[in-house]
Amino acid sequence: MKRLSLSLFLLFTLNLLSETVLLKGGLVHLGNGDIAKTQDILISDNIIIGVGTNLIIDGNTRVIEVNGLPITPGLISPMSNLGIVEINALDVTRDDEPDLLSAGFSIFNAFNPHSTGIPWNRSNGVTSAISTPSASSFPIFGLGSHFVLDGSLEIKGSKDIAMFGRLGASYGSRAETLSILESLLDIGKMVNTLSIEEILEMNLADQLELQAQDIVALGKVVNDGMPFVLETNRAVDILQALSMKKRYGLNLVLVSVEEAPMVLGQLKESNTPVIIDPMDNIPNSFDELGSSLDLGKILDQAGVPIMFSTQRSHNYHLMRQGAGNAVAYGMSYETAIKGMSNTVAQTFRLNNRGSIEAGKLADVIVWDGDPLEPSSFPKIVMIEGQLQDLSSRSTKLTERYTNTENKPSSYKH
Amino acid sequence: MNNKLLLPLLLFTIIGCSEGFNFEFSLGDSGSESINPGIDNAFASTYAPMNSEPILFKSANIYDGLGGEFRNYDLLLSEGKILEIGEAITAPGVMVINATDKWITPGIIDIHSHMGVYSAPGVSTSSDGNEATSPVTAEVWAEHSLWTQDPQYALALKGGVTAFHVLPGSANLFGGRGATFKNVSQNTVQAMKFPGAPHSLKMACGENPKRVYGNRRQAPSTRMGNMAGYRSAWIDAVEYTDGMNEKDSDRRPTRDLAMDTLMGVLNGEILIQNHCYRAEEMAMMIELSKEFNYKITTFHHAVEAYKIADLLADEGICAALWADWWGFKHEAYDMVQANVAIIDQARNGTGCAIVHSDDAVGIQHLNQEAAKAMAAGNRAGYEISKAHAMRWITSNPAKAAGILDQTGSIEVGKDADIVLWTGNPFSVYSRAETVLIDGAFAFDMNNPKIQPITDFDLGIIQPQTNRVQ
Repeated sequence: MKRLSLSLFLLFTLNLLSETVLLKGGLVHLGNGDIAKTQDILISDNIIIGVGTNLIIDGNTRVIEVNGLPITPGLISPMSNLGIVEINALDVTRDDEPDLLSAGFSIFNAFNPHSTGIPWNRSNGVTSAISTPSASSFPIFGLGSHFVLDGSLEIKGSKDIAMFGRLGASYGSRAETLSILESLLDIGKMVNTLSIEEILEMNLADQLELQAQDIVALGKVVNDGMPFVLETNRAVDILQALSMKKRYGLNLVLVSVEEAPMVLGQLKESNTPVIIDPMDNIPNSFDELGSSLDLGKILDQAGVPIMFSTQRSHNYHLMRQGAGNAVAYGMSYETAIKGMSNTVAQTFRLNNRGSIEAGKLADVIVWDGDPLEPSSFPKIVMIEGQLQDLSSRSTKLTERYTNTENKPSSYKH
Repeated sequence: MNNKLLLPLLLFTIIGCSEGFNFEFSLGDSGSESINPGIDNAFASTYAPMNSEPILFKSANIYDGLGGEFRNYDLLLSEGKILEIGEAITAPGVMVINATDKWITPGIIDIHSHMGVYSAPGVSTSSDGNEATSPVTAEVWAEHSLWTQDPQYALALKGGVTAFHVLPGSANLFGGRGATFKNVSQNTVQAMKFPGAPHSLKMACGENPKRVYGNRRQAPSTRMGNMAGYRSAWIDAVEYTDGMNEKDSDRRPTRDLAMDTLMGVLNGEILIQNHCYRAEEMAMMIELSKEFNYKITTFHHAVEAYKIADLLADEGICAALWADWWGFKHEAYDMVQANVAIIDQARNGTGCAIVHSDDAVGIQHLNQEAAKAMAAGNRAGYEISKAHAMRWITSNPAKAAGILDQTGSIEVGKDADIVLWTGNPFSVYSRAETVLIDGAFAFDMNNPKIQPITDFDLGIIQPQTNRVQ
């Protein structure tokens, strides 16, 4: 796999630059749901090599006193457009919308590590993100990829890790949407027995305007357990999605699920993770009449794995504010932390990140206060063991316009 | 299947608005007599407070909304007004609420809302905020679109919002009149209108008008086209106003709804709320206001306000801002989180900063948005207290809406628009426990009977099941 060689290359380069670091005396949220406790984190090269209170270090270890500040894993956004959308209203800055492809549309090669959203989100504690195609009238939008937000042109990430789509009122009848979704999954199943060329020649593939890439991707969803991420809200639509999961053996993830409390038993039984915006209690459509600020609590108490989306683009760190509000309305604190880290890693099979434990990549944030308080801010952002610069275009503008020197602002730099 | 159509951009790219507010005059009772007395009284407020009884909050922590912080204080409300603030108040026979370890603030006020004109669900039949049929629609009034059963009011109430200003959208250069409402659901719009609150006129700079009309191959399609559109309208308005001032009624022009609104601005009776993102465009709008001798009350969504903070302070213009929205369009690209703080601290702290929502979720958490803006300001080197930052969502928006005489702070004699918070309101974990409007219980988190349920919510999921709040 390409990804392996990329990782090996990076390991090598980082080894040249890195050192052993001890983050000493932080209130460590492991990200796995355990209650936080005060301990140390030992990081060597790009890897966490120890978590505890009596870690053995040598004289070359750089010790950073954390003085009781909270530490969490680097936050992982499960649904962003980082690196693929610069300005929403300017189509020429968007790479999240296909013209020809659908289910097989991959945004991976469009990723711009220099997009201004990356340093901004990174300085706010988001160390990696899954970027996704935008919603379309076709019920499947394409494939999302995972990206490490270190801004490097040597792009670190996992290509095409999940397929994204929707089920519900938007375009035409949801009955037709369901029928199309099932046809697409049927085609994915055929990949086991027919060649792509044979499938392409079928009427159904023609009617659905499928390209070879679409069919390959559908095969991965149906046959290889690629996460299939469906946005849906209405209680009965959630049941339809769960039924599809059962019939096709899907690795289903549901998004939004504002009426999930009405079908809680079935959702729990299906062991389906969800991505929610805990602050969205607006009945934005007739699919979302059951929306409520209690959603996070109800799902948490049922043991449903929970991740967090944000209301709008560009500020994916605001999943912290959403998580904080979920806690204010009854979700457990550690579920909220886990939902921004380990739950995302587990759901999307990002096996080497998402929690603070020995052997994981050292994506670590030291916060200046409670990480669920929107007013808190990272003091240290570490991605794969490397301390990150916390500046961004936004901080540069702030410096410029709080500089009181008497000259044109364009000379203040 | 047709080709995969792309979902349209979210409505917010077009519905942003802005409002302006006038510090200098008290608009409710300025001495100028209207030429057309009928105009001012049309669609007047019929709001009547709900029943209330005297209430004494004991041992509360209080932010008064003007920068003051009082620990372990008592607050006495009576007949819908704030009667007394002090230590160890006694009032025999009065309902007592123990507020130990809790916080009291003025009711939160949002200077930029589209509740009722972009109601939930956000379906085409409820899209009533932009009369996007002509770039100058000063004749329309947002209140004429308002849906009284919008479920969003009750959600905002749960977030401590006691009054809000509803604006038309920003598709047009002149979007129409905005109006202020008490957050008490009633079955008529007039019954919700804030008594005595002035109208505003929504104006919009920049990308939205030029995009909406430019796409139709009509003016304005550029920012210079925007300016020409404003100036042409003001020239007409000056002529109309002069005509209406003619002593001989036969020489007065035929009444014109759009011109009535612009004349109201020129007469200082209607406040300019101006959607405007970019620094040089705001400066241009200030020049425009001087050319035609009117006052801008507030720039809304002013993502670049921090670049001209001193100018805004000098001109006495408020900036109504988000804590951190950006990137959704080009004119919202230069976001700094210290924007609110920089405006606030301009010219030795004389700036007027407001945290606004323009959003049905954001309006429920303006306290959290203020907390983010405060923290960002302090990281940028300012020393802004929570008590001070509370102004951004209480007295400053009240000033911008022209209702500071009645509400927006905890002062004796003001409307008893009060929020009791479970903890410090700048924490994400704190919730509005009780919200009082004119001294009456409008919301109580522990009493389902004091949680409004609109007609829309009632029995909509199952006959026995109301939409949850």
